[in-house]
Amino acid sequence: MTTAVMIAGVGSTKFGVLPGRSLQSLAVEAARAALADSNIPPSRIRSVFVGNFVGGIMTGQELLGPIIAADLGLSNVAAVKIEAACASSSAAVRVGHDLIRAGAEDVVLVVGVERLTGAPRDALTTAMTAAIDQAIEGSAGLTFPGFWGMVMARHMHLYGTTREQVAAVTVKNRQFGCGNPLAQYQKPVTLEEVITSPPISDPIRRYDCCPATDGAAALVLTNEVLAKQYGASAVRIAASVLSNGPARITDYDDITTHDGTVRASKLAYEIAGVGPNDINVAELHDCFSIAEIVDSEDLGFFPKGEGGPSLLGMPSARNSKVVINPSGGLLSKGHPTGATGCGQLYEVALQLRGRHPNQVTNARLGLTHNGGGTAAAVSVHILESR
Amino acid sequence: MSILGTVQSHTVVRVPDKAHASMAPFVLLLVELAGGRRVLGHFDRAEPPPIGAHVIADAGKETPVFRVVEGSS
Repeated sequence: MTTAVMIAGVGSTKFGVLPGRSLQSLAVEAARAALADSNIPPSRIRSVFVGNFVGGIMTGQELLGPIIAADLGLSNVAAVKIEAACASSSAAVRVGHDLIRAGAEDVVLVVGVERLTGAPRDALTTAMTAAIDQAIEGSAGLTFPGFWGMVMARHMHLYGTTREQVAAVTVKNRQFGCGNPLAQYQKPVTLEEVITSPPISDPIRRYDCCPATDGAAALVLTNEVLAKQYGASAVRIAASVLSNGPARITDYDDITTHDGTVRASKLAYEIAGVGPNDINVAELHDCFSIAEIVDSEDLGFFPKGEGGPSLLGMPSARNSKVVINPSGGLLSKGHPTGATGCGQLYEVALQLRGRHPNQVTNARLGLTHNGGGTAAAVSVHILESR
Repeated sequence: MSILGTVQSHTVVRVPDKAHASMAPFVLLLVELAGGRRVLGHFDRAEPPPIGAHVIADAGKETPVFRVVEGSS
């Protein structure tokens, strides 16, 4: 016997450079907002899952589950941290989802939180590469811009994807960011500015990269009965999937096709009983501009190799077939790694409630895609308005 | 002993982690070896070879340093 799982409440801090804020204070702000949004009393919560990637490395703070629960005044709960690199908080949502669905819990609080700014760039790069296999890839000097630089070079070679097509992703998402008050970047950029920005890991340039970001986002999950009882403006989780892909770049048959995304999305579509053509709005893991092209192909929005021209032809129109990253995505809203998954679900939940600042017309079905490591841990969620 | 393969992709790392700071910028190659196994390696030049180029390196190093096979391109 299973029950429908609902997102009853959502909350988020602003994403950006937030000096003076601790992991705890960010998490508490987002969690309190989500609890207030849900109308569900905090006393109903029995489990708290905190998604976080590099809190220990960047701030020295671990044991975030019990500490954040205590700061929220939740004393009689089980609270733990869940780590899957940049997919940490969507992995935490998957765990909470399964507990609710199985009837083992009634209300679960999921919080994603990260602090990435304030440290020297090489320290941040070193922290991020903790999600790269140190024995094989780290020893060679692979970084995440390096991984995506190789993906981009190969995609251009195989499919003729152009520099302009890849840069157009950043231009589109920066335009969306201008309309999102939570976004780190709220200033547009031109194709020329992207293409002439400083090289980071060829052919990746600075404006092809998401920024380092501080922030937190939180969700209150519950069953359909309690969501109705408390009058929450809930959206249904039609599918919650977590899947592994190749753990190392050398394990890929083809680095332009990310098996974890393909597997996770196929299973999510099957569980939800829908296909990619049914999705109205998607928040996907554009950690680099080329990633949005690869991900949108692997999610089935475009045939393989056609993501570049398709996205170049996709304006910021809010009534196109599927609107991708209307939050501004990681490229513009920002990427507080451990918080990003919850942040994407926050954005899509607002879309399905019809209350997003960049509202997609008639949004009924939404998808989130969140990847950890070299697309080694991938989460896909499908949400449905009620 | 040498290892021989074909370049699948490449990048030039200009913003490295702390451990590789003194090497930057450096070329990283993804190379498919004869037999299908793939490895990451460095390159003996500042600019990467074209994708599809045949490269060779001495075996036994943790990170092989490839060079283009003469006459292959």
